Amino acid sequence: MLELQPMLSALWRNKVPALLISLQLALTLAIISNIVIIIQERIEKIGRPTGIAVEEIIAINVMAIPQDYDMIGAISADMDLLRKLPLVKDATVTNQVPLSQSGSAGTFYTQPNQKVGGENSNRYNTDPNFINTLGLKLVAGRNFTNTEMQYYDPSEIRDVNVAVITQQFAENIYPGQDPIGKPLYDGDSHPIEIIGVVERHLGAWVDWSKAGNVAFFPIARNTQDINYLVRAEPGKRDEVLKTLVEKLSERDPQRVIKTRILSEYVARSYAGDNLMVKVLSIVAATLSFIVALGIVGLTIFWINQRAKQIGVKRALGATRSNISRYFLVENSLIAVTGIALGSAAALIVNQYMVRDYSQPVLTLVPLSICALLVLVVSLTAALAPALRAANISPATATRSV
Amino acid sequence: MIGYYISLALRSLRSTPILSALMVAAIAVGVGASMTVLTLNYMMSQNALEHKDDVLFAVQLDSWDVNKAYDNANEIPWQLTYKDAQALLRSDIPTHQVAMHRYGFTVELEDSAIRPYTADIRVTTRDFFSLFDVPFIYGGTWEKTADGSPMQVVVLSKATNEKLFSGENSVGKTVVLNSQPFTVIGVIDTWEPSPKIYDVNNSSFAEVESLFVPFGLHRKLEIYSWGNTNGWDSGEEGEGYEGFLQSESVWIQFWVELSDSEQKAGYESFLTAYIQGQKDQGRFERPLKFALSKPSEWLVLNEVLSDDNRVLGWVSLAFLLVCVINAVALLLAKFLRKAPEAGVRRALGASRNAIFTQHLIESSTIGILGGIAGILLAFMGISGIRYLAMGQLDTVARIDWVMVAAAIGLALIASLLAGLYPAWRISRTNPSIYLKTQ
Amino acid sequence: MLKMHNVRKSFRTDTIETHALRDFSLEVKEGEFVSVTGPSGSGKTTFLNIAGLLETPTGGQYLLDSEDVSNLNDRQRSRLRNEKIGFIFQGFNLIPDLNLFDNIDVPLRYRGFNAKERRKRIEKVLEQVGLSARAKHLPAQLSGGQQQRVAIARALAGEPRFLLADEPTGNLDSLMARQVMELLEFINEWGTTIVMVTHDPELARRAHRNIQIVDGQVCDLRTLTEQPEAATA
Repeated sequence: MLELQPMLSALWRNKVPALLISLQLALTLAIISNIVIIIQERIEKIGRPTGIAVEEIIAINVMAIPQDYDMIGAISADMDLLRKLPLVKDATVTNQVPLSQSGSAGTFYTQPNQKVGGENSNRYNTDPNFINTLGLKLVAGRNFTNTEMQYYDPSEIRDVNVAVITQQFAENIYPGQDPIGKPLYDGDSHPIEIIGVVERHLGAWVDWSKAGNVAFFPIARNTQDINYLVRAEPGKRDEVLKTLVEKLSERDPQRVIKTRILSEYVARSYAGDNLMVKVLSIVAATLSFIVALGIVGLTIFWINQRAKQIGVKRALGATRSNISRYFLVENSLIAVTGIALGSAAALIVNQYMVRDYSQPVLTLVPLSICALLVLVVSLTAALAPALRAANISPATATRSV
Repeated sequence: MIGYYISLALRSLRSTPILSALMVAAIAVGVGASMTVLTLNYMMSQNALEHKDDVLFAVQLDSWDVNKAYDNANEIPWQLTYKDAQALLRSDIPTHQVAMHRYGFTVELEDSAIRPYTADIRVTTRDFFSLFDVPFIYGGTWEKTADGSPMQVVVLSKATNEKLFSGENSVGKTVVLNSQPFTVIGVIDTWEPSPKIYDVNNSSFAEVESLFVPFGLHRKLEIYSWGNTNGWDSGEEGEGYEGFLQSESVWIQFWVELSDSEQKAGYESFLTAYIQGQKDQGRFERPLKFALSKPSEWLVLNEVLSDDNRVLGWVSLAFLLVCVINAVALLLAKFLRKAPEAGVRRALGASRNAIFTQHLIESSTIGILGGIAGILLAFMGISGIRYLAMGQLDTVARIDWVMVAAAIGLALIASLLAGLYPAWRISRTNPSIYLKTQ
Repeated sequence: MLKMHNVRKSFRTDTIETHALRDFSLEVKEGEFVSVTGPSGSGKTTFLNIAGLLETPTGGQYLLDSEDVSNLNDRQRSRLRNEKIGFIFQGFNLIPDLNLFDNIDVPLRYRGFNAKERRKRIEKVLEQVGLSARAKHLPAQLSGGQQQRVAIARALAGEPRFLLADEPTGNLDSLMARQVMELLEFINEWGTTIVMVTHDPELARRAHRNIQIVDGQVCDLRTLTEQPEAATA
């Protein structure tokens, strides 16, 4: 019952509108398939486990006002104060706030005085409480002890003896080996012993290609400013946050104290990715919607134009479903043409996206899913007008005008 | 006649309100999306130093690790070591030269109710203000000696002067920074280059610092950088703060003003000779390489406009293209439905041109309406982006009059393009077939 | 007024070429009222379209008002249509979105008259067809006969010297048809040349002269009656 031949010639006579719909669908597919893989990649990136109890942590920045401030003394006093606060699980001192896009990194080697072939890693100077405060999981070896802590002036050079590193960094620098007890060198001859491995810590920079390579050292330096991390009991973070500045200033007013919850740092770090996800999702949704409206509009127009023809067909015995099916099949033909064009365009566009803008590669599966989506959008849009066409009375044929 | 066409266009839009609204909406959404993204990209591509683009240069020297090139586009560190910066400052070739970095102080005022707060500081040589054309309200920059020896003077931003001294002339007054007294020597006027061209390797869209202090203070106050500090030769670092200053860590941003090509050539040979001299002393082990980048080149090199922004730019233009094709289809449908009317008009003496113009004006009317709605959408889009960027794009996510005009222009061009084929098609249709009854 | 000499018009599709008019020659004098009859598909409409400058002939010569209009460009032809020719159609072809006033306004706009002149003319022709009170009505609010009177008013507003009517009474009942016909005769008496295509032999007879088109050629009644004689001779 498919009248393919007359359908094709009817389409050929109306080729401009048909082509316009095909072209829209093709562009839509090319855009959406490339958008979808970017969105997918960003969502995965944002969803990566950080290894850190982000929602329970508050970061505090303390900046001393006097030039010759005893920061080391202040750290131990502040730590005592913070750890004793109600609803506080633990607190730690750190040179940088994790996941804040600000931190330091270095290159580490497996041999003394090695200069080439090292592995880059994010590095933190912190104290033994960092594992509990950040909610990390020690998977091998041991934590620092308080006796291993070194406190000194920033201008001093001191050798650090032990390090805790992430599993990822361990696998990268000592692939397939047990890292515990192995040395790390930072370009000189002094070995730093790996004493512990934590399961995961994403580090300072979410965009870094080596994100997840992290090393921790038991160091606190006598700098002008320092960061603390405080972990509250689950759900009590905001309550704890309210009193922190007051409590710390009360203990010593000679500082400027700023607090920010860790989840806000994380949100800010991922703001760019989040922006991409939101903007691209909105674009994909509106694009589909606009194209659908266009198809509705054009199909209605088309059917109106052929109202008389439809009436004649009905008068000659075509059933309602014959008429609806005719328009849906016609729409599918147009959509399939568009999808073929669009798939080619999508793959070509993707090559540029990968080459020039370092976006992900478009594979067959997401492309097919998007193609199917476009087909569904197109058919859904054509459905209402096609059903309406079936309601055209056979009497239309006999009436002039 | 234009007036007649416009009244016909409005009448025609009113006669098919749903279809018209659809077309206006399609154009509006396309224009809104493109303008949102293009505004952002346009603001991010601004060059606040465009008027001095031919004479200003960011200086890079390749002092990096012999075993591994610096990991950026031109494989030269973005910043200089302290000792190289000091050495370059001794040259008298440039008209102006600036060595600087980001820092932070606590700020207090004696006998004041203002609570101590932390502020972003720029530690810089005196030429900063003349090289970047920063206007002063009161006072001026410090003497040349302050770039080499510690003098506790400070230049305030306008906002800081408002905050501390209610905007009065504060020259000669004292501000306490990290508990040290500093004498105010100047107050600059509002100056907000965005992107922050002179410091794109920290945060391109951050605000300008609120205080400026001389470059001669490092040793006295043991100033480290609050910006990026990158090192490679950790083994060589000597004892104490002096060790840090003499290290191979790069943390000083360096700019020069070279007024003509002769001066530039002179400076280039100076840099070549300097690197050669350092090579003789065992430094600069990599092949001799330095770069002088104009502000416009510097923005590109630093990828201030990120890949993501470019992708969004292309996506939004492609989106607009779909909207235009959509409008072509709908306009075609609408115009062809009115073909009998066009036939009657032809019979009554309208030329093809007249019919064409009439329909093109109808398309433009849709374009203008779409453009206006598109601007509203763009405003919404921009505030959405400010929200999503959590304040990190506030200095660039804003619409100026240029962009409003561009939005209307874009909408008009889009709708004219969209209307071109349908209007042409209807003007070419043989009128006689519509005049017969049937 | 109108003179066609050996006018040809053919339509070409992918496969076939059809000749709508073949060596068509006809002269209509100033002030004449000519009716054109002929079977369906004989070329009546093509003749009317060419006469009305809506289509260009494939060949031959067409003089309108002693001016050769066979090779004018679209702009010049539109200008002539606007100034010299008025159209009346079977289906009235009023623009449904425009009220009577604005419908009659259409040709005057293209003529480029100022607002005052247009208003004067519109009011005058509405008066002539007796519909002054309905100026603000939409076509759909009128009867068929009234609509055709508006169409005539629109055709007359530009004071054309030449009126082309295509089955002007085809969609009307006999009473209305008679009224419209009387209006056309009245217009003709005031000097306007009229060519009217019709099926109705009675209407055709009321014209000064009737021509028949058969197979794309003029078949003058005289010729028709003469031909048998010639055959017998």
